[in-house]
Amino acid sequence: MNARHAEAAARFIQNKAQEEWHNETLFLVREKRDRQAASLPEWEQLRQLASQIKMHTITHLDNYLEQFADRAEANGAIVHWAKDAHEHNEIIYALLRERQVEKLVKSKSMLTEECRLNPYLISKGIEVVESDLGERILQLMNKPPSHIVMPAIHLKRQEVGKLFEEKLQTEKGNSDPAYLAHAARLHLRNEFLTAGAALTGANFGVAATGDVVVCTNEGNADMGASFPKLHIVSMGIEKVTPDYKTLSVFIRLLARSATGQPATAYTSHYRKPRKGCEMHIVLVDNGRSDIIGHADHIQTLKCIRCAACMNTCPVYRRSGGYSYTCFIPGPIGVNLGMLKSPGEYSGNVSACSLCYSCNNVCPAKIDLADQIYKWRQQLDSLGKADRTKKLLSGGLRYLFARPALYNTALRLAPIINKTPRFLIYNNLNAWGKGRELPVFAKESFAHMWKKGKIKQHP
Amino acid sequence: MAYSKFGLFVPCYVNALYPEAGVATWRLLEYLGAGAEYPAGQTCCGQPMANAGFEREAEPLLRQFDRLFALYDFIITPSASCAAFVKEHLDGMNGRLYEICEYLHDVAKVETLPGKFPHKVSIHNSCHGVRKLHLSSASEQMEPRYSKLKKLLSMVEGIEVAEPACVDECCGFGGMFSIEEPAVSVCMGQDKLKNHLATGAEYITGADSSCLMHLQGIARREKMPARFIHISQILAAGL
Amino acid sequence: MSTKNDILSSIRSHTVQTCDMPAIELEAIQYPDTVARFTEVIKSVGGSAIELQEGEDINRRIRSLYPEAGVIASNLPEIRIATVNPDEVETPYLLNGTALAVVQGEIGVAENGCVWIPQNVKEKAVCFIAEYLIILLDKSRIVSNMHEAYEQIRFNDNGFGVFISGPSKTADIEQALVIGAHGAKGVVVLLTTV
Repeated sequence: MNARHAEAAARFIQNKAQEEWHNETLFLVREKRDRQAASLPEWEQLRQLASQIKMHTITHLDNYLEQFADRAEANGAIVHWAKDAHEHNEIIYALLRERQVEKLVKSKSMLTEECRLNPYLISKGIEVVESDLGERILQLMNKPPSHIVMPAIHLKRQEVGKLFEEKLQTEKGNSDPAYLAHAARLHLRNEFLTAGAALTGANFGVAATGDVVVCTNEGNADMGASFPKLHIVSMGIEKVTPDYKTLSVFIRLLARSATGQPATAYTSHYRKPRKGCEMHIVLVDNGRSDIIGHADHIQTLKCIRCAACMNTCPVYRRSGGYSYTCFIPGPIGVNLGMLKSPGEYSGNVSACSLCYSCNNVCPAKIDLADQIYKWRQQLDSLGKADRTKKLLSGGLRYLFARPALYNTALRLAPIINKTPRFLIYNNLNAWGKGRELPVFAKESFAHMWKKGKIKQHP
Repeated sequence: MAYSKFGLFVPCYVNALYPEAGVATWRLLEYLGAGAEYPAGQTCCGQPMANAGFEREAEPLLRQFDRLFALYDFIITPSASCAAFVKEHLDGMNGRLYEICEYLHDVAKVETLPGKFPHKVSIHNSCHGVRKLHLSSASEQMEPRYSKLKKLLSMVEGIEVAEPACVDECCGFGGMFSIEEPAVSVCMGQDKLKNHLATGAEYITGADSSCLMHLQGIARREKMPARFIHISQILAAGL
Repeated sequence: MSTKNDILSSIRSHTVQTCDMPAIELEAIQYPDTVARFTEVIKSVGGSAIELQEGEDINRRIRSLYPEAGVIASNLPEIRIATVNPDEVETPYLLNGTALAVVQGEIGVAENGCVWIPQNVKEKAVCFIAEYLIILLDKSRIVSNMHEAYEQIRFNDNGFGVFISGPSKTADIEQALVIGAHGAKGVVVLLTTV
């Protein structure tokens, strides 16, 4: 499968009202981020530090991971290592099966999306309940998130209202967000109190202390982890940070970059299991250690999953998360997809106008657009280059490398200005679908110069 | 300075579609006493191919560029995007190759311009102009706000300068992006045009004719009352 | 253990460059009046901070804030109006139905309205399941920024701590802000003078 972003994006844009709402709403989030960033004179310094700390940590990852695991185990947690998604899923299933857990309540974790944990557990007969409101909505719809921080941003309140009428027996026709969120609170509270285990992701793992740090606004990670006897943490190996000094840099950047809040409502530090309970941490590689060796793409490992690159991306905002085929959309997703499987995800590489806004908002200063540029250079050798672009690029190079031919062509070019429309504005002309062609000048600059017309000017 | 040799780099599409921007740039240099030459045989720097993923098609063009301008101390061009591309891909271009506004502001340090342009204009802050050449501060970055384009334009008599909402959001041109992702590209352009027109400006101006070409294509298709002019033409008014 | 070794050796074999740890010498923001800034920020995140006047009775103040609260959970000796002691419940499930919880915070952070609450009760659930939460905080313990906070935070043997900044919230439906997702629907920080 190699679905093209361009086609899915065109479908998204057809619903103009929805596209406009999506675009404008996410830009408001970007502007909230700008205001938060501007409130700190040291903002750019923080980004620089975050970038350097991450690069240091990633290039000393073996030390920090071992330190983290040792600490966590000294604190009484049990640490598991998973090479890939399958091992991750098996470890978690074994933990649940051995304890006869029938229901698992989850807080948001992009890693478990990456590993496709939910379908795996469900196939084994485990009931899996997402507890982040957006994730829960999508789970009830059987859909993946379209944004990594605001998973249901593509939905309108009426769609949620209808869904809840059917699944949670809410009032007919009531799509007030406060009413719906309250209904979800009551419904999920029951799930928290009846689950046999809780699973949370990890925003950070602190090597010096063994803390797992989870940031949420809803408080769902804590509601989950406060009741059942088993708490499982699913954590990518790149989430480790050396100590509190470094952690404080990321915590200051994360919520401000993500949602334009000064902090998430909850920044929870899980250090030890609750008395008489168990805490298991599953450290997942799933391709991350390979990325360390990719000089061009190592920086993707700096990502703290804030989604600021999505909120600022003019293409993401106007095409929606589902127009990308990777489970993480937007600029970071384009790159992560290519690292995972170029054959499968190359259709996303066109989703970038190379505006470089993502580079500038990224709190860890990942060179997102530069990496997309680099992936494009590889598409042809992967056999995934766009045919039109390839023909055009080769053709233009042929012309441009021959100045005499080029100048002759230019002298003839104004003919196009007078060519009948049907010859120009047809299906072969992607430019002409929404735009008129530019008008060729009667005389090119080169020609005018040659004739001495420019220097003649008084 | 008196002994410096100036070469004018007129990018392929400016040459063919907007030669008036090349002429204006030449006049501005002439006004500063920097008589510029136009080395014959110029075509394209290779940016469109490289951004589309065909750097190898761009390489011979970059070499051609390097040869043509080898003897020039300064290379000046009316295109921020092309200037940024060549600077990134050819050694020895920093301190030599300048987009015209960058040159006027940073090197020539002009304080006055003789012309008049009694119109309201909306500045099109192009991505590569802002985020690569730093012609203005980028809205994402927390740095003191500045705009070299605004400063230069304000030297022209009678002008009123505005900027659109989402001040430096991409217009959706992006070279071959515009043909590989036409739906998103046109949608971005429509939004950008709306923001420009909402300022009440009579003209949309900027340092990249390529963005203006894309916006102009949409404006003409949708019969929107937008007029476009390259910034060098405003700065050269009266020359 | 073999998977652990496999992952670590894969990391080692792929590490081709090493980058130094930067010196984290940052002149982080300082507020001349941390209490005022804290109060302002916590309001902006949907909570509130109230200074307890000298000699004012804390129980009366809490009662006046939440006159209707039925089940009040607290293990703090000065909270005489508490009806449940979360140190004495057999299981956290018994805290379901708590209307108001009163807990002790240790450090406030002016830049983001966070209050550090180490788990100083048997069941941490009390901080999250209560409909409303009151956090007591010595106002001399408000620092300007998170760097200072992280230098000071302490854990006890319970091995859990949380920074709470205002009430639980969600904007997952159309980005419309709704206060009270899963945790407390309201958070009041009562600033005390020790």
